[in-house]
Amino acid sequence: MPSIDDVTNAPDELSDDRADKLLEEADLVQDMMGEVCPYPQVEAKKGLQDLESGELLVQETDHVPCTENVPRAVGDDAEARVWRSGDATYRIYLRKR
Amino acid sequence: MVATILVVAVVGLALGVFLQKGRFCFVNAFRDFFAYKDSRVTKGVAVATLLTMVFWGIAYQFGYYGALWTPEWGLTGLVGGFVFGVGMTYAGGCASGTLYRAGEGYLQFWLTLLFMGVGYAAFAVAFPTLESTYFETFTFGSGVSLFTLSSIPAGLLALAVAGGAVLVYAAVLGRSSETGTLGGRSDVASVQLTALLAPIAGLRRIARGTREYVAGIVDAWRDPLAASKRPWDPRTAALGITGAAVLWFTQASIVGVTGPEARWTGYLLSQVGVDAESYDYWGSVLFQGQGVDVTTDMVMIGFVIVGAFLAASWSGDFSVRVPKRRRLPNAIGGGLLMGAGSRLAPGCNIGNIYSGIAELSVHSFIAAVGIVAGVYVMTRWIYREVGCAI
Repeated sequence: MPSIDDVTNAPDELSDDRADKLLEEADLVQDMMGEVCPYPQVEAKKGLQDLESGELLVQETDHVPCTENVPRAVGDDAEARVWRSGDATYRIYLRKR
Repeated sequence: MVATILVVAVVGLALGVFLQKGRFCFVNAFRDFFAYKDSRVTKGVAVATLLTMVFWGIAYQFGYYGALWTPEWGLTGLVGGFVFGVGMTYAGGCASGTLYRAGEGYLQFWLTLLFMGVGYAAFAVAFPTLESTYFETFTFGSGVSLFTLSSIPAGLLALAVAGGAVLVYAAVLGRSSETGTLGGRSDVASVQLTALLAPIAGLRRIARGTREYVAGIVDAWRDPLAASKRPWDPRTAALGITGAAVLWFTQASIVGVTGPEARWTGYLLSQVGVDAESYDYWGSVLFQGQGVDVTTDMVMIGFVIVGAFLAASWSGDFSVRVPKRRRLPNAIGGGLLMGAGSRLAPGCNIGNIYSGIAELSVHSFIAAVGIVAGVYVMTRWIYREVGCAI
């Protein structure tokens, strides 16, 4: 049975606890608050270039489209998860493959 | 009067809601396609344009329409479109994207709007000179829509063009899926067979994609409250925008954004003591000698911002966002280029790519090429360090 995720192509969402725990583990955190497209996409690609396989990049952003565009931009280079605060801030978790 | 206000409010609010929920961004549609071949929003834009074309064609054929918008055609579309395309990519939002993000609370895009206004004002001041030089040189013929030019009834013509576009897309889609399965072992006969079967394979994939989409919508309806807060598929936005645009077309005209914005600029300046009417561009071109006052399309685009605000608040996406200082040049430069470019063309992404192609206006075909070329050049520049797929 197709779910809404098949339609919007949005990455899996993290629970609040998991999101906070993963943030502590992050190898690189990028502050993308106040940024607009496509700069977070470009920064994510640059950031991943500096990381080793298995390491975690987290972007903190308040730009709505980033939650979809950043994971799409890095494509197969990283496994993506998203956390929505429900208050117009978001985190994007990218684990380099 | 009440009916007019109701239509204006319904159309504006609907456009705002669907733009926001579908993240219907023309920069996204082309930039991300060039940068990493992401075509989700591109498909949404194509669906909206083709569907609108069919319904507008039918409405036009039976006389249920307000007015077409067909500026004179020539190289102005290419030049102005290119400037606009560069501007919207640099700003990070097109004419419609800037509006709905203003509604989401981005101070960045209110600043972009302000500098688009500066661009409109600068153009209005320079208009007499530009008219005798730039427009005189680069305008080749009077404006025309294929709806009026063609001997085929407009509805049929629109259906044929939209159907043709779907077939071409199906062929491309079919070929790309065939090459994967055939590998390198194809001989001449199988290549010819593939060329014939490609559109069929592509149509099957489109049908499958549409079925999955409908199933997803049905699934979402089981919990409409939760689904309404999640992001929507760009195709849902395309359907909603088409509905609003068809209502607008039967009651007023095509959907435009930068034209009404340029009128807002003239109107607001006149409120603070500037004699906007004495400038030819506002007095006789934009307000057509009717006096500088609030028009229905100006109110309509105001409602787009309100609609986007309501949708964003409902979804938890509204907040007053303060831009990073290093992004200010994007709002200023991008806004100026969009303001000036949309006047030099004339028309923005909505007027030319969406509405203009949907009404088969010759000017808009040229301007759309200019805009996409501008997006391409600017995307290559922004992605220069990390590489661009196309």
